[in-house]
Amino acid sequence: MSDGGLVAQAVVAVKTLGLNYAFLLNLGERQAFLHGLVVTLELCLLTIPASLAAGVAMAAALTSRHQWLALPARAFVEVTRNTPTLVQLYCAFLVLNMLITRQLEGVGGNPLTPFAWVVIVVAIHKGAFHAEALRAGIEAVPQVTLEAARSLGFSQRQLLWRMELPLAVRFALPSLVNNLVDLVKMTAVASAIAVGDVTYESIMIWTQRDNVLELLLLILLYFGLLTWLVSLAGRWLEARWRMPGYGQ
Amino acid sequence: MANEVTVNALPMRAAFGTRLDPRRHPWWTALATVVLIVGTWIATGTTPVALELLWQWTPALLRGLLTNIEISMLAMALGTLVGLVVGALSLSPLRLPRVLTRWYVQFFRNAPVLVLIYFTTYVFPFELHLVKWTVPFPDWIKVVLGLALPTSAVVAEIFRGAIQSIPSAQWEAAQSLAFRRTEIFRLIVLPQCLRRMLPPWMNLYASITMSTALASLVGAHDVVDTAQIASNTVARTDFTVLVYFTLLGVFFAYCYPIARATRALERRHARH
Repeated sequence: MSDGGLVAQAVVAVKTLGLNYAFLLNLGERQAFLHGLVVTLELCLLTIPASLAAGVAMAAALTSRHQWLALPARAFVEVTRNTPTLVQLYCAFLVLNMLITRQLEGVGGNPLTPFAWVVIVVAIHKGAFHAEALRAGIEAVPQVTLEAARSLGFSQRQLLWRMELPLAVRFALPSLVNNLVDLVKMTAVASAIAVGDVTYESIMIWTQRDNVLELLLLILLYFGLLTWLVSLAGRWLEARWRMPGYGQ
Repeated sequence: MANEVTVNALPMRAAFGTRLDPRRHPWWTALATVVLIVGTWIATGTTPVALELLWQWTPALLRGLLTNIEISMLAMALGTLVGLVVGALSLSPLRLPRVLTRWYVQFFRNAPVLVLIYFTTYVFPFELHLVKWTVPFPDWIKVVLGLALPTSAVVAEIFRGAIQSIPSAQWEAAQSLAFRRTEIFRLIVLPQCLRRMLPPWMNLYASITMSTALASLVGAHDVVDTAQIASNTVARTDFTVLVYFTLLGVFFAYCYPIARATRALERRHARH
């Protein structure tokens, strides 16, 4: 295979720089690492839309006129924003997951995998940050615009979906993109509960070989690529959605 | 103990509401309720076992928390020092330092904190050899270094943003009043910058404190590590639930006041 030959040549070439990437020549380890890359990508691709959905739901609750909805939402957002993701992950995976497993022992077992818990926890954690950004955006929508829409016979729901949300998203887009960059970085925490993401697979490899520096450089490059793609998409959306005379 | 306050105060508050009017003295009501409940438990000997165990583990958990606070403060101090230097270099009129600092900031801002902590933990040696002494290099100091790297990158950005937010007309105005360049910086620009830097800097401190939880993953004996040991040693379902949610409460109790203070400062500055 010419591909394998190319990799071998690259490994030899880099070795002269003092970096040992010999694990790439071992089929099992190379596949484990590539699988890790894919799992991290999957985590990001699932968690980004989930976090945005959670953010919209929480922002709707935060800006609700009903106190029984707005107050618990505010408390939830504050607790989520001011506690570490790792501890939240432990509370979810080691506590809630255990309780759910106990409850479902008789009926088919627990369907939630560690992977699913990471998606849920990170999505809700970042959703709380999205919600704050969107709330600021919703509050920045001019009252006059809303009154004009109301006088044109928009219902409360139409008002939210057609007026408030599109304008709020434009206002909040820079902070939303910032949050998504953080989200991509945050998926590394999945390795703490043994989800086979790129960080976890790398730990497995570097405990066998002594090549921590080489693997860490690859991981950092990979995360650099992912965060760059997210901010690129953010800039593209910002340019596309720009409304003359609105937003920062 | 923070946990007992939050867990027990909420359901009882409603019952006491009619007599004490909790809306006027919410904290005193909560405190009185907790004292009353704990007093009843001690008097009748019916304290839930999980809470009694948590009380036994409290000193260990507090010691762990102290480690977290130490790590966060050292990382913040180190990161701020390095960050100010990097930020100053990024404003240099020369091209090379500008480009280099740009790369530094981009690299460490876009790297996951956990990966940086692994980086400093595994790349640095277990002990240092200084001439003829061998100094141990404990894990928690490596975590400090790992957290100081992203901190310095963010501080550099905060500093650069603050300096650039001062209108350049102020430099010119001060120059026309015969101030020297260093005087302008020290007497006019810097005081305004510090005020603008404080809220984002406090935000950063809260987020670094939360990141110290990751120290448990590389073997530092912090509060998360202690909670895991406690949970595994006691091995009771109710205690496991209690100890992990206490952990959540402890971090919240430390970080939420910082977040509130930051917001209050931001509001005050927005009015000026």
